[in-house]
Amino acid sequence: MKFSLPIFDVKNLYFIVDDQEILRNVSFEIFAQDYIAIIGPNGGGKTTLIRILLGLEKETKGEVRIFGKKIKDFKEWHKIGYVPQRASHVDASFPATTQDVVKMGRTSKRKLFSKESQEDKLRVEDAMRKMDVYHLKDKMIGTLSGGQRQRVMCARALASRPEILILDEPNTGVDVSSQQRFYELLRELNKKEKITIVFITHDIGVIADDIARLFTINQKAVICNNPKEALSCEDMSDLYGIDAHLIHNHKHEH
Amino acid sequence: MLEIFEYEFMQRAFLAGMIIATLASISGTFVVLRRYSMISETLAHSALVGVAVGLVAGFNPLWMAVIIAILSAWLIEYLRYSFSLYSDAVLAIFLSGSLAIAVIIVSLGGAFNNSLFSYLFGSILAVSDADLITIFIFGIVCLSVLLIFAKEFYFIAYDEEVAKTSGIRVRLLSFLLVTIVAIIIALSIRVVGSLLIGALMVIPTVSALQYRQGFAKTLFISLFFAIFSVASGMTLSFYMSLPSGATIVLSILVIFIISLVANKR
Repeated sequence: MKFSLPIFDVKNLYFIVDDQEILRNVSFEIFAQDYIAIIGPNGGGKTTLIRILLGLEKETKGEVRIFGKKIKDFKEWHKIGYVPQRASHVDASFPATTQDVVKMGRTSKRKLFSKESQEDKLRVEDAMRKMDVYHLKDKMIGTLSGGQRQRVMCARALASRPEILILDEPNTGVDVSSQQRFYELLRELNKKEKITIVFITHDIGVIADDIARLFTINQKAVICNNPKEALSCEDMSDLYGIDAHLIHNHKHEH
Repeated sequence: MLEIFEYEFMQRAFLAGMIIATLASISGTFVVLRRYSMISETLAHSALVGVAVGLVAGFNPLWMAVIIAILSAWLIEYLRYSFSLYSDAVLAIFLSGSLAIAVIIVSLGGAFNNSLFSYLFGSILAVSDADLITIFIFGIVCLSVLLIFAKEFYFIAYDEEVAKTSGIRVRLLSFLLVTIVAIIIALSIRVVGSLLIGALMVIPTVSALQYRQGFAKTLFISLFFAIFSVASGMTLSFYMSLPSGATIVLSILVIFIISLVANKR
Protein backbone atom coordinates (compact mmCIF):
# COMPACT_ATOMS: atom_id res chain seq x y z
CA MET A 1 0.00 0.00 0.00
CA LYS A 2 2.61 2.49 1.08
CA PHE A 3 6.33 2.13 0.61
CA SER A 4 7.71 4.70 3.01
CA LEU A 5 9.13 3.69 6.39
CA PRO A 6 6.27 3.24 8.85
CA ILE A 7 6.14 5.60 11.83
CA PHE A 8 5.32 2.65 14.07
CA ASP A 9 6.17 -0.90 13.21
CA VAL A 10 4.84 -3.36 15.77
CA LYS A 11 5.59 -7.07 15.41
CA ASN A 12 4.25 -9.92 17.54
CA LEU A 13 3.78 -7.72 20.57
CA TYR A 14 2.87 -9.33 23.88
CA PHE A 15 2.19 -7.58 27.16
CA ILE A 16 1.81 -9.90 30.11
CA VAL A 17 1.15 -8.89 33.72
CA ASP A 18 0.99 -11.57 36.41
CA ASP A 19 0.55 -14.34 33.82
CA GLN A 20 -2.36 -12.48 32.30
CA GLU A 21 -2.08 -11.59 28.66
CA ILE A 22 -3.16 -7.99 28.21
CA LEU A 23 -1.97 -7.97 24.61
CA ARG A 24 -1.41 -11.13 22.58
CA ASN A 25 0.56 -11.28 19.37
CA VAL A 26 -0.35 -7.82 18.12
CA SER A 27 1.21 -6.70 14.84
CA PHE A 28 0.56 -3.60 12.78
CA GLU A 29 2.15 -0.68 11.02
CA ILE A 30 1.21 2.98 11.21
CA PHE A 31 2.20 5.06 8.22
CA ALA A 32 2.61 8.77 7.72
CA GLN A 33 -0.74 10.56 7.33
CA ASP A 34 -2.77 7.64 8.62
CA TYR A 35 -5.98 8.54 10.43
CA ILE A 36 -6.64 5.70 12.82
CA ALA A 37 -9.26 5.04 15.46
CA ILE A 38 -8.61 2.42 18.11
CA ILE A 39 -11.69 0.85 19.66
CA GLY A 40 -12.25 -2.08 21.97
CA PRO A 41 -13.90 -2.97 25.26
CA ASN A 42 -12.66 -1.52 28.54
CA GLY A 43 -9.74 -3.52 29.85
CA GLY A 44 -9.06 -4.79 26.34
CA GLY A 45 -5.59 -3.25 26.22
CA LYS A 46 -6.09 -0.10 24.13
CA THR A 47 -4.44 2.25 26.59
CA THR A 48 -1.68 -0.28 27.31
CA LEU A 49 -0.96 -0.45 23.60
CA ILE A 50 -0.48 3.27 23.19
CA ARG A 51 1.50 3.47 26.43
CA ILE A 52 3.89 0.95 24.90
CA LEU A 53 4.08 3.02 21.72
CA LEU A 54 4.94 6.06 23.83
CA GLY A 55 7.63 4.25 25.80
CA LEU A 56 5.69 4.49 29.08
CA GLU A 57 5.38 0.69 29.39
CA LYS A 58 7.81 -1.95 28.25
CA GLU A 59 6.60 -4.80 26.08
CA THR A 60 6.96 -8.34 27.43
CA LYS A 61 7.78 -9.84 24.04
CA GLY A 62 7.87 -8.68 20.48
CA GLU A 63 9.29 -5.65 18.77
CA VAL A 64 8.23 -2.03 18.53
CA ARG A 65 10.04 0.31 16.18
CA ILE A 66 9.46 4.07 15.96
CA PHE A 67 10.65 5.71 12.76
CA GLY A 68 12.72 2.55 12.20
CA LYS A 69 14.39 2.69 15.62
CA LYS A 70 13.91 0.55 18.70
CA ILE A 71 12.16 2.48 21.49
CA LYS A 72 15.24 2.54 23.72
CA ASP A 73 17.32 4.08 20.93
CA PHE A 74 14.66 6.55 19.89
CA LYS A 75 15.45 10.12 20.89
CA GLU A 76 13.27 12.37 18.76
CA TRP A 77 10.26 12.35 21.04
CA HIS A 78 9.21 15.81 19.90
CA LYS A 79 8.02 14.10 16.70
CA ILE A 80 5.32 12.41 18.73
CA GLY A 81 2.54 14.39 20.37
CA TYR A 82 0.57 12.75 23.17
CA VAL A 83 -2.75 13.86 24.63
CA PRO A 84 -3.58 11.72 27.67
CA GLN A 85 -7.01 10.56 28.72
CA ARG A 86 -7.29 12.66 31.85
CA ALA A 87 -6.40 15.82 29.93
CA SER A 88 -9.77 17.40 30.39
CA HIS A 89 -9.74 17.19 34.16
CA VAL A 90 -6.76 19.27 35.21
CA ASP A 91 -6.23 20.33 38.78
CA ALA A 92 -8.22 23.56 38.90
CA SER A 93 -5.70 25.42 41.04
CA PHE A 94 -2.63 24.63 38.94
CA PRO A 95 -0.99 27.97 38.17
CA ALA A 96 -1.05 27.87 34.38
CA THR A 97 -2.58 29.99 31.69
CA THR A 98 -3.46 28.47 28.33
CA GLN A 99 -0.25 29.94 27.02
CA ASP A 100 1.82 28.45 29.87
CA VAL A 101 0.50 25.00 29.01
CA VAL A 102 1.05 25.29 25.27
CA LYS A 103 4.59 26.57 25.88
CA MET A 104 5.39 23.31 27.66
CA GLY A 105 5.20 21.73 24.24
CA ARG A 106 8.40 23.56 23.33
CA THR A 107 10.33 22.32 26.36
CA SER A 108 11.67 19.15 24.77
CA LYS A 109 13.02 21.06 21.80
CA ARG A 110 14.89 23.68 23.69
CA LYS A 111 18.59 23.64 24.36
CA LEU A 112 19.91 24.10 27.84
CA PHE A 113 20.37 27.76 28.84
CA SER A 114 18.47 28.89 25.75
CA LYS A 115 15.80 31.48 26.14
CA GLU A 116 12.48 31.43 24.40
CA SER A 117 13.26 31.97 20.72
CA GLN A 118 11.23 33.74 18.08
CA GLU A 119 10.44 30.33 16.63
CA ASP A 120 9.12 29.11 19.99
CA LYS A 121 6.78 32.09 20.13
CA LEU A 122 5.54 31.53 16.60
CA ARG A 123 4.97 27.80 17.12
CA VAL A 124 3.09 28.37 20.34
CA GLU A 125 0.87 30.98 18.73
CA ASP A 126 0.36 28.86 15.64
CA ALA A 127 -0.61 25.81 17.71
CA MET A 128 -3.10 27.88 19.73
CA ARG A 129 -4.67 29.25 16.56
CA LYS A 130 -4.93 25.83 14.96
CA MET A 131 -6.80 24.46 17.94
CA ASP A 132 -8.84 27.63 18.21
CA VAL A 133 -7.74 28.55 21.72
CA TYR A 134 -5.74 31.69 20.92
CA HIS A 135 -8.45 33.91 22.35
CA LEU A 136 -8.07 32.02 25.64
CA LYS A 137 -4.32 32.47 25.88
CA ASP A 138 -4.30 34.43 29.14
CA LYS A 139 -7.11 32.49 30.77
CA MET A 140 -6.30 30.16 33.63
CA ILE A 141 -6.51 26.56 32.55
CA GLY A 142 -8.68 25.70 35.55
CA THR A 143 -11.41 28.07 34.37
CA LEU A 144 -11.83 26.52 30.91
CA SER A 145 -14.53 24.05 29.92
CA GLY A 146 -13.68 20.40 29.28
CA GLY A 147 -13.76 20.89 25.53
CA GLN A 148 -11.55 23.98 25.69
CA ARG A 149 -9.02 22.23 27.90
CA GLN A 150 -8.92 19.34 25.51
CA ARG A 151 -8.05 21.66 22.67
CA VAL A 152 -5.39 23.33 24.82
CA MET A 153 -3.81 19.92 25.48
CA CYS A 154 -3.80 19.27 21.77
CA ALA A 155 -2.23 22.66 21.12
CA ARG A 156 0.49 21.78 23.63
CA ALA A 157 1.18 18.56 21.74
CA LEU A 158 1.17 20.44 18.42
CA ALA A 159 3.63 23.08 19.59
CA SER A 160 6.56 20.69 19.19
CA ARG A 161 5.48 20.20 15.57
CA PRO A 162 4.89 16.47 15.85
CA GLU A 163 4.53 14.18 12.88
CA ILE A 164 2.07 12.04 14.74
CA LEU A 165 -0.52 12.84 17.36
CA ILE A 166 -1.67 10.10 19.75
CA LEU A 167 -4.82 10.76 21.77
CA ASP A 168 -6.30 8.58 24.49
CA GLU A 169 -10.07 9.03 24.58
CA PRO A 170 -9.79 12.73 23.88
CA ASN A 171 -13.45 13.41 24.47
CA THR A 172 -14.07 11.93 27.89
CA GLY A 173 -16.19 14.48 29.72
CA VAL A 174 -16.70 16.75 26.71
CA ASP A 175 -20.14 17.68 25.39
CA VAL A 176 -21.30 16.36 22.01
CA SER A 177 -21.08 19.55 19.96
CA SER A 178 -17.53 20.17 21.18
CA GLN A 179 -16.71 16.57 20.32
CA GLN A 180 -17.77 16.99 16.74
CA ARG A 181 -15.85 20.20 16.42
CA PHE A 182 -12.82 18.53 17.93
CA TYR A 183 -12.86 15.72 15.41
CA GLU A 184 -13.21 18.22 12.59
CA LEU A 185 -10.08 19.95 13.86
CA LEU A 186 -8.26 16.63 14.03
CA ARG A 187 -9.31 15.79 10.50
CA GLU A 188 -8.04 19.15 9.33
CA LEU A 189 -4.68 18.58 10.97
CA ASN A 190 -4.54 15.25 9.22
CA LYS A 191 -5.44 16.57 5.79
CA LYS A 192 -3.90 20.03 5.73
CA GLU A 193 -0.93 19.64 8.02
CA LYS A 194 -0.25 16.03 7.04
CA ILE A 195 -0.09 15.00 10.70
CA THR A 196 -0.72 11.33 11.39
CA ILE A 197 -3.54 10.88 13.88
CA VAL A 198 -4.14 7.90 16.17
CA PHE A 199 -6.83 8.03 18.81
CA ILE A 200 -8.64 5.75 21.19
CA THR A 201 -12.36 6.34 21.25
CA HIS A 202 -15.67 5.04 22.46
CA ASP A 203 -17.87 7.32 20.43
CA ILE A 204 -17.61 5.52 17.13
CA GLY A 205 -20.81 7.08 15.92
CA VAL A 206 -19.23 10.52 15.74
CA ILE A 207 -16.29 9.47 13.64
CA ALA A 208 -17.35 6.36 11.77
CA ASP A 209 -17.61 8.06 8.39
CA ASP A 210 -14.31 9.71 8.65
CA ILE A 211 -11.72 7.29 9.92
CA ALA A 212 -9.34 5.80 7.44
CA ARG A 213 -8.35 2.74 9.44
CA LEU A 214 -9.85 1.08 12.47
CA PHE A 215 -7.93 -0.98 15.02
CA THR A 216 -10.02 -3.15 17.28
CA ILE A 217 -8.13 -4.22 20.37
CA ASN A 218 -9.23 -6.89 22.78
CA GLN A 219 -6.03 -8.72 23.73
CA LYS A 220 -5.67 -9.48 20.06
CA ALA A 221 -5.86 -6.82 17.42
CA VAL A 222 -7.91 -6.71 14.29
CA ILE A 223 -6.82 -4.15 11.78
CA CYS A 224 -9.38 -2.87 9.31
CA ASN A 225 -7.93 -0.85 6.50
CA ASN A 226 -11.37 0.01 5.30
CA PRO A 227 -13.70 0.59 8.23
CA LYS A 228 -16.67 0.84 5.95
CA GLU A 229 -16.38 -2.90 5.68
CA ALA A 230 -15.82 -3.25 9.39
CA LEU A 231 -18.23 -6.11 9.73
CA SER A 232 -16.52 -8.18 7.12
CA CYS A 233 -13.28 -7.85 9.02
CA GLU A 234 -12.53 -11.28 10.37
CA ASP A 235 -13.12 -11.82 14.07
CA MET A 236 -14.43 -8.32 14.47
CA SER A 237 -17.64 -9.26 16.13
CA ASP A 238 -15.89 -11.85 18.26
CA LEU A 239 -13.62 -9.20 19.59
CA TYR A 240 -16.03 -6.40 20.00
CA GLY A 241 -19.48 -7.62 19.22
CA ILE A 242 -21.71 -4.81 20.37
CA ASP A 243 -19.76 -1.92 19.00
CA ALA A 244 -19.22 -3.60 15.66
CA HIS A 245 -22.96 -3.78 15.52
CA LEU A 246 -23.13 -0.08 16.28
CA ILE A 247 -20.91 0.73 13.36
CA HIS A 248 -23.03 -1.44 11.18
CA ASN A 249 -26.22 0.37 12.17
CA HIS A 250 -24.60 3.72 11.83
CA LYS A 251 -23.63 2.92 8.24
CA HIS A 252 -27.16 2.10 7.32
CA GLU A 253 -28.49 5.36 8.62
CA HIS A 254 -26.54 7.22 5.98
CA MET B 1 20.58 53.25 59.87
CA LEU B 2 17.99 51.23 61.69
CA GLU B 3 19.12 49.95 65.04
CA ILE B 4 18.61 46.40 63.88
CA PHE B 5 21.35 46.71 61.24
CA GLU B 6 23.90 48.17 63.62
CA TYR B 7 24.74 44.66 64.73
CA GLU B 8 26.92 42.59 62.50
CA PHE B 9 25.15 39.38 63.44
CA MET B 10 21.87 40.89 62.25
CA GLN B 11 23.39 41.87 58.92
CA ARG B 12 24.63 38.31 58.49
CA ALA B 13 21.31 36.86 59.54
CA PHE B 14 19.40 39.14 57.16
CA LEU B 15 21.62 38.27 54.23
CA ALA B 16 21.36 34.57 54.97
CA GLY B 17 17.61 34.95 55.44
CA MET B 18 17.11 36.66 52.07
CA ILE B 19 19.09 33.95 50.26
CA ILE B 20 17.12 31.24 52.01
CA ALA B 21 13.77 32.91 51.36
CA THR B 22 14.59 33.09 47.64
CA LEU B 23 15.72 29.48 47.43
CA ALA B 24 12.97 28.05 49.60
CA SER B 25 10.14 29.77 47.76
CA ILE B 26 11.34 28.96 44.24
CA SER B 27 12.15 25.33 44.97
CA GLY B 28 9.02 25.16 47.11
CA THR B 29 6.86 26.11 44.13
CA PHE B 30 7.95 23.02 42.21
CA VAL B 31 7.69 20.80 45.26
CA VAL B 32 4.17 21.96 46.11
CA LEU B 33 2.96 21.66 42.51
CA ARG B 34 4.25 18.09 42.40
CA ARG B 35 2.16 17.34 45.49
CA TYR B 36 5.34 16.59 47.31
CA SER B 37 5.20 19.13 50.13
CA MET B 38 6.06 16.61 52.82
CA ILE B 39 9.52 16.01 51.33
CA SER B 40 10.71 19.30 52.81
CA GLU B 41 9.51 18.35 56.29
CA THR B 42 11.12 14.93 56.01
CA LEU B 43 14.46 16.15 54.72
CA ALA B 44 14.57 18.74 57.47
CA HIS B 45 14.46 15.91 60.01
CA SER B 46 17.14 14.02 58.09
CA ALA B 47 19.28 17.14 58.15
CA LEU B 48 18.95 17.04 61.90
CA VAL B 49 20.77 13.70 61.91
CA GLY B 50 23.62 15.49 60.18
CA VAL B 51 23.54 18.25 62.80
CA ALA B 52 23.60 15.64 65.57
CA VAL B 53 26.58 13.86 64.04
CA GLY B 54 28.31 17.20 63.59
CA LEU B 55 27.69 18.33 67.18
CA VAL B 56 28.74 15.03 68.72
CA ALA B 57 31.70 14.21 66.47
CA GLY B 58 32.93 17.79 66.18
CA PHE B 59 32.41 18.24 62.43
CA ASN B 60 30.78 21.33 60.94
CA PRO B 61 27.05 20.64 61.61
CA LEU B 62 25.95 22.62 58.54
CA TRP B 63 28.09 20.57 56.17
CA MET B 64 27.04 17.30 57.81
CA ALA B 65 23.40 18.38 57.50
CA VAL B 66 23.85 18.99 53.77
CA ILE B 67 25.47 15.58 53.27
CA ILE B 68 22.93 13.57 55.27
CA ALA B 69 19.96 15.44 53.74
CA ILE B 70 21.20 14.68 50.21
CA LEU B 71 21.76 11.02 51.04
CA SER B 72 18.27 10.63 52.47
CA ALA B 73 16.74 12.46 49.52
CA TRP B 74 18.37 9.98 47.15
CA LEU B 75 17.36 7.01 49.28
CA ILE B 76 13.75 8.23 49.40
CA GLU B 77 13.62 8.68 45.62
CA TYR B 78 15.24 5.29 45.08
CA LEU B 79 12.68 3.59 47.34
CA ARG B 80 9.80 5.36 45.65
CA TYR B 81 10.86 4.30 42.18
CA SER B 82 12.23 0.84 42.87
CA PHE B 83 9.67 -0.58 45.26
CA SER B 84 6.65 1.44 44.20
CA LEU B 85 5.95 2.26 47.83
CA TYR B 86 3.45 4.96 48.62
CA SER B 87 5.30 8.25 48.58
CA ASP B 88 3.70 9.63 51.70
CA ALA B 89 4.39 6.42 53.63
CA VAL B 90 8.07 6.53 52.68
CA LEU B 91 8.21 10.14 53.84
CA ALA B 92 6.52 9.33 57.14
CA ILE B 93 9.00 6.51 57.79
CA PHE B 94 11.96 8.76 57.10
CA LEU B 95 10.55 11.64 59.10
CA SER B 96 10.17 9.82 62.38
CA GLY B 97 13.09 7.49 61.70
CA SER B 98 15.57 10.34 61.28
CA LEU B 99 14.29 12.20 64.30
CA ALA B 100 14.74 9.06 66.40
CA ILE B 101 18.28 8.58 65.13
CA ALA B 102 19.13 12.24 65.73
CA VAL B 103 17.82 12.16 69.30
CA ILE B 104 19.75 8.99 70.11
CA ILE B 105 22.99 10.34 68.67
CA VAL B 106 22.62 13.58 70.61
CA SER B 107 21.71 11.77 73.86
CA LEU B 108 24.62 9.36 73.60
CA GLY B 109 26.98 12.20 72.81
CA GLY B 110 25.65 14.30 75.67
CA ALA B 111 24.97 17.24 73.36
CA PHE B 112 21.38 17.92 74.46
CA ASN B 113 21.73 21.62 75.01
CA ASN B 114 21.01 25.09 73.74
CA SER B 115 23.01 24.58 70.62
CA LEU B 116 20.65 21.80 69.53
CA PHE B 117 17.66 23.98 70.40
CA SER B 118 18.87 26.63 67.97
CA TYR B 119 18.98 24.04 65.18
CA LEU B 120 15.41 23.01 65.91
CA PHE B 121 13.86 26.46 65.92
CA GLY B 122 16.39 28.71 64.25
CA SER B 123 18.40 31.50 65.76
CA ILE B 124 19.53 34.77 64.27
CA LEU B 125 22.43 34.83 66.65
CA ALA B 126 23.75 31.61 65.25
CA VAL B 127 24.75 32.65 61.72
CA SER B 128 28.54 32.87 61.57
CA ASP B 129 30.67 34.32 58.77
CA ALA B 130 31.55 30.79 57.70
CA ASP B 131 27.85 29.86 57.63
CA LEU B 132 27.06 32.88 55.51
CA ILE B 133 29.75 31.97 52.99
CA THR B 134 28.53 28.35 52.85
CA ILE B 135 24.93 29.51 52.38
CA PHE B 136 26.00 31.96 49.69
CA ILE B 137 28.05 29.49 47.64
CA PHE B 138 25.55 26.62 47.80
CA GLY B 139 22.76 29.13 47.28
CA ILE B 140 24.19 30.36 43.97
CA VAL B 141 24.57 26.78 42.74
CA CYS B 142 21.02 25.80 43.76
CA LEU B 143 19.47 28.93 42.29
CA SER B 144 21.27 28.38 38.98
CA VAL B 145 20.03 24.80 38.73
CA LEU B 146 16.47 25.86 39.59
CA LEU B 147 16.46 28.59 36.96
CA ILE B 148 18.13 26.51 34.26
CA PHE B 149 15.63 23.67 34.63
CA ALA B 150 12.60 25.72 35.65
CA LYS B 151 10.66 24.87 32.49
CA GLU B 152 11.36 21.17 32.84
CA PHE B 153 10.44 21.14 36.56
CA TYR B 154 7.24 22.99 35.75
CA PHE B 155 6.31 20.59 32.97
CA ILE B 156 7.00 17.56 35.19
CA ALA B 157 4.86 19.07 37.95
CA TYR B 158 2.05 19.60 35.46
CA ASP B 159 2.06 16.09 34.01
CA GLU B 160 4.89 13.69 34.65
CA GLU B 161 3.91 11.21 31.96
CA VAL B 162 3.38 13.71 29.20
CA ALA B 163 6.73 15.27 30.13
CA LYS B 164 8.29 11.83 29.80
CA THR B 165 6.77 11.24 26.39
CA SER B 166 8.16 14.62 25.32
CA GLY B 167 11.64 13.27 25.90
CA ILE B 168 12.25 14.98 29.24
CA ARG B 169 14.38 12.89 31.58
CA VAL B 170 11.87 12.88 34.38
CA ARG B 171 13.68 10.55 36.76
CA LEU B 172 17.00 12.30 36.50
CA LEU B 173 15.38 15.69 37.00
CA SER B 174 13.37 14.42 39.97
CA PHE B 175 16.62 13.33 41.61
CA LEU B 176 18.10 16.70 40.79
CA LEU B 177 15.15 18.56 42.32
CA VAL B 178 15.18 16.60 45.59
CA THR B 179 18.95 17.06 45.79
CA ILE B 180 18.54 20.81 45.48
CA VAL B 181 15.72 20.77 48.02
CA ALA B 182 17.88 18.76 50.43
CA ILE B 183 20.70 21.29 50.17
CA ILE B 184 18.36 24.26 50.61
CA ILE B 185 16.78 22.73 53.68
CA ALA B 186 20.09 21.90 55.28
CA LEU B 187 21.27 25.48 54.68
CA SER B 188 18.08 26.88 56.16
CA ILE B 189 18.13 25.19 59.51
CA ARG B 190 20.51 27.77 60.97
CA VAL B 191 18.04 30.57 60.42
CA VAL B 192 14.64 28.90 60.37
CA GLY B 193 15.31 25.67 62.25
CA SER B 194 14.64 22.15 61.09
CA LEU B 195 11.17 21.89 62.61
CA LEU B 196 9.99 25.02 60.82
CA ILE B 197 11.71 25.15 57.43
CA GLY B 198 8.98 23.07 55.77
CA ALA B 199 6.61 25.97 56.32
CA LEU B 200 8.86 28.44 54.51
CA MET B 201 9.02 26.14 51.51
CA VAL B 202 5.34 25.35 51.29
CA ILE B 203 3.27 28.26 52.63
CA PRO B 204 4.52 31.09 50.34
CA THR B 205 3.58 29.00 47.30
CA VAL B 206 0.25 27.89 48.69
CA SER B 207 -0.52 31.54 49.52
CA ALA B 208 0.52 32.64 46.01
CA LEU B 209 -1.70 29.95 44.47
CA GLN B 210 -4.73 31.62 46.05
CA TYR B 211 -4.35 34.52 43.60
CA ARG B 212 -4.91 32.17 40.62
CA GLN B 213 -2.25 33.54 38.34
CA GLY B 214 -0.07 31.97 35.67
CA PHE B 215 3.27 30.33 36.40
CA ALA B 216 5.60 33.33 36.28
CA LYS B 217 3.37 35.54 38.41
CA THR B 218 2.78 32.78 40.95
CA LEU B 219 6.53 32.29 41.26
CA PHE B 220 7.09 36.01 41.86
CA ILE B 221 4.25 36.36 44.36
CA SER B 222 5.60 33.37 46.28
CA LEU B 223 9.10 34.86 46.26
CA PHE B 224 7.80 38.21 47.48
CA PHE B 225 5.85 36.58 50.33
CA ALA B 226 8.86 34.54 51.41
CA ILE B 227 11.20 37.54 51.46
CA PHE B 228 8.66 39.70 53.22
CA SER B 229 7.96 37.12 55.90
CA VAL B 230 11.63 36.41 56.55
CA ALA B 231 12.34 40.14 56.88
CA SER B 232 9.42 40.81 59.18
CA GLY B 233 9.99 37.60 61.13
CA MET B 234 13.62 38.49 61.77
CA THR B 235 12.74 41.99 62.85
CA LEU B 236 10.20 40.59 65.31
CA SER B 237 12.70 38.04 66.50
CA PHE B 238 15.25 40.80 67.13
CA TYR B 239 13.00 43.15 69.03
CA MET B 240 11.11 40.52 71.02
CA SER B 241 13.94 38.03 71.60
CA LEU B 242 12.02 35.16 70.08
CA PRO B 243 13.41 32.26 68.02
CA SER B 244 13.63 33.51 64.42
CA GLY B 245 12.16 30.36 62.86
CA ALA B 246 8.95 30.73 64.82
CA THR B 247 8.50 34.43 64.06
CA ILE B 248 9.18 33.84 60.36
CA VAL B 249 6.63 31.04 60.18
CA LEU B 250 4.07 33.14 62.04
CA SER B 251 4.58 36.00 59.56
CA ILE B 252 4.05 33.72 56.60
CA LEU B 253 1.00 32.21 58.28
CA VAL B 254 -0.53 35.67 58.56
CA ILE B 255 0.13 36.21 54.84
CA PHE B 256 -1.47 32.86 54.10
CA ILE B 257 -4.62 33.66 56.04
CA ILE B 258 -4.93 37.08 54.40
CA SER B 259 -4.44 35.50 50.95
CA LEU B 260 -7.02 32.87 51.69
CA VAL B 261 -9.63 35.32 52.92
CA ALA B 262 -8.96 37.93 50.23
CA ASN B 263 -9.43 35.38 47.45
CA LYS B 264 -12.35 33.51 48.87
CA ARG B 265 -14.94 32.84 46.22
